[in-house]
Amino acid sequence: MSLAVEAVNVVKNFGEIRAVDGLSFNVKNGETFGLIGPNGAGKTTALRIAATLLLPTSGTMKIFGLNVVQEAAEVRKIITYLPEEAGAYRNLSGWEYLEFMAKFNTRSKDEAQQMVNEAAEITGLGERLKDKTKTYSKGMKRRLLVARALMNKPKLAILDEPTSGLDVLHAYHVREIIKRYVKEHNVTVLLSSHNMLEVEHVCDRVALINKGKVVAEGKPSELKEKFGSANLEEVFAKVIGLA
Amino acid sequence: MDLLKGFGNFLLKELKELVRDPKILLGMIIVPLLMFPILGGIMSYSIQSAQEKAEQATVLVVNNDGGNWSTSLIAFLNFSARVSVENNKVLDNNTILELLANYNITYLIEIPEDFSAKMNQHQSNQSVIAYVRFYGAFSGASLFENIGSSVIDNLIYKFNRHWAPDSVAINKSTIIKGNVVEGVDPNILTTLMYSQAIAMPITIMILLTYSMQIAATSVAMEKEEKTLETLLTLPMDRFAILMGKLSGTILVAGIGALAYMLGFNYYMSSFTATFPAGTSLDLASLGLVPSVFGYLLLGISLFVTLLSALALAVIVSAFVEDVRSAQSIVGYIYPLIFIPALALMYLDINTLPLALKILLYAIPYSHPIIASKAIIIGDYLTAIIGIVYVTAFTLVVMYLASRLFATEKILTAKLKFKGLRKREKTPRGEFQ
Repeated sequence: MSLAVEAVNVVKNFGEIRAVDGLSFNVKNGETFGLIGPNGAGKTTALRIAATLLLPTSGTMKIFGLNVVQEAAEVRKIITYLPEEAGAYRNLSGWEYLEFMAKFNTRSKDEAQQMVNEAAEITGLGERLKDKTKTYSKGMKRRLLVARALMNKPKLAILDEPTSGLDVLHAYHVREIIKRYVKEHNVTVLLSSHNMLEVEHVCDRVALINKGKVVAEGKPSELKEKFGSANLEEVFAKVIGLA
Repeated sequence: MDLLKGFGNFLLKELKELVRDPKILLGMIIVPLLMFPILGGIMSYSIQSAQEKAEQATVLVVNNDGGNWSTSLIAFLNFSARVSVENNKVLDNNTILELLANYNITYLIEIPEDFSAKMNQHQSNQSVIAYVRFYGAFSGASLFENIGSSVIDNLIYKFNRHWAPDSVAINKSTIIKGNVVEGVDPNILTTLMYSQAIAMPITIMILLTYSMQIAATSVAMEKEEKTLETLLTLPMDRFAILMGKLSGTILVAGIGALAYMLGFNYYMSSFTATFPAGTSLDLASLGLVPSVFGYLLLGISLFVTLLSALALAVIVSAFVEDVRSAQSIVGYIYPLIFIPALALMYLDINTLPLALKILLYAIPYSHPIIASKAIIIGDYLTAIIGIVYVTAFTLVVMYLASRLFATEKILTAKLKFKGLRKREKTPRGEFQ
């Protein structure tokens, strides 16, 4: 079985700035893998490369064996991507937005309808789905977008800071959606977060990133044990020499 | 006064923000400051050169009279203009065209055989008027093309003042598409036609600027609302995204243009209804309305121009992050729309200096206007050449736009206004 994500020595430069500096990690099929690190560590750039939005300056990244540069169109058929600050179309209702997105994944009206129904259930927004998305709170919008990213059961869902900026209740809801959906439908998830405590509850394995490089990788429990820490935040501080 | 407390401070902040935004400074202040003097220069040059040309041109007089008065009139004309004389020629359609071609002129005057007799009669009976005939060619290319008609009016007016008031009048005819149409003053025809034909450049101007705004806003909105990234990772060809953007914009702009043209047509019809008496000309019966083929060519010309403008708007708006910046940045393209539209509204491109002529032909947005004039006189070749040129330009712009959408530049490209350099250099590769 090929790996869900295989990143080998990926480098990404923006002019003088090196955002990703020789990043290597593997994600197994069916697992939830977290890239964690502080702001500016290179998490979003790495996810954007995986989502075929950015080209690596050097190195390779493969999604289920498909090269994200040479086979980008094929990669896009098996992934969904949720950007950190994603928005929905303001003048579409939540329901219309889900319908619009579903139609990219299937030509069958029934299948599209099924996806929308499932997404509607995941969002938990009920009747509010009939309202235009511009009337939604940040948490409601994020729930809609997470549901959109999962509704077609992608082989790989790439979620950038899925709970960023959400209050406790909305963040809890989004985390539950991800955990439940992955188990039910064998979806592989590659997510990023700077909230290391939250990641412990969602991810099977994590890679700690600092200055564009992986500084530690493993199951959260293993990492905590290895570094004798109570949580991943402490692990990170120890790895980069802060503690 | 408490109501306005803090107003001055706030106003100062607003002004600083607006003036320091290079996009606003360039688009709203510097561009208009440069554009209108350029336009004024073109206009005054053209009017002046048309006038000089008319004054320097040879006035051909066909003298079928042979009496003293015709000799006096020719001598009088000779005093103010260069006159060539042809004697005793029956002026039928072909002869007039031959004479105009041989002398390379656009108008001639005929002194009919009874001219001197009528002048003599006028001495005793002032109700008798001696007529000269004026034949002027009409091409519809410029508002000033029939300035020769005014020159002759002026000369005859002076002749009348010199000899006897109202002794001589002019019977004017116009040569349209090689046929002499009796009793039509080419000057009035030009004025009338322009009062109607002015709608086309204005419509094109509004249609292009309006649709470019929509296209630029539409791309910038995707960026501002953070929907573009999601869109670019969907299983659809990025060219389809580009075409979707362009088509949506064309549809909205097309409906807008239609509404505008309907309103403008109503405005123009109410305007021509009050035209002075004696100018109730029917342009259709004179063959001065485009044929179906002409309309088709104009439609194609307009479509390809619109497409290139929209693709260009999409490209430039990809370099900014928000709607306000996108709307400002397309403002840089507006002079390329306004200058040809306003200049060609009144002027004949063929009478302009070579450099200006090349410049106007090089600007793609000139071509629908040039085509709109050309098709009226049945000059389809000019319209077709314009279409070929704009299509080639459009293909280049569309190619650039599709390349932009195919690469990460659609997300990462940014304009740095200090020197207009790109802030970040990204790899030249693209996704397959």
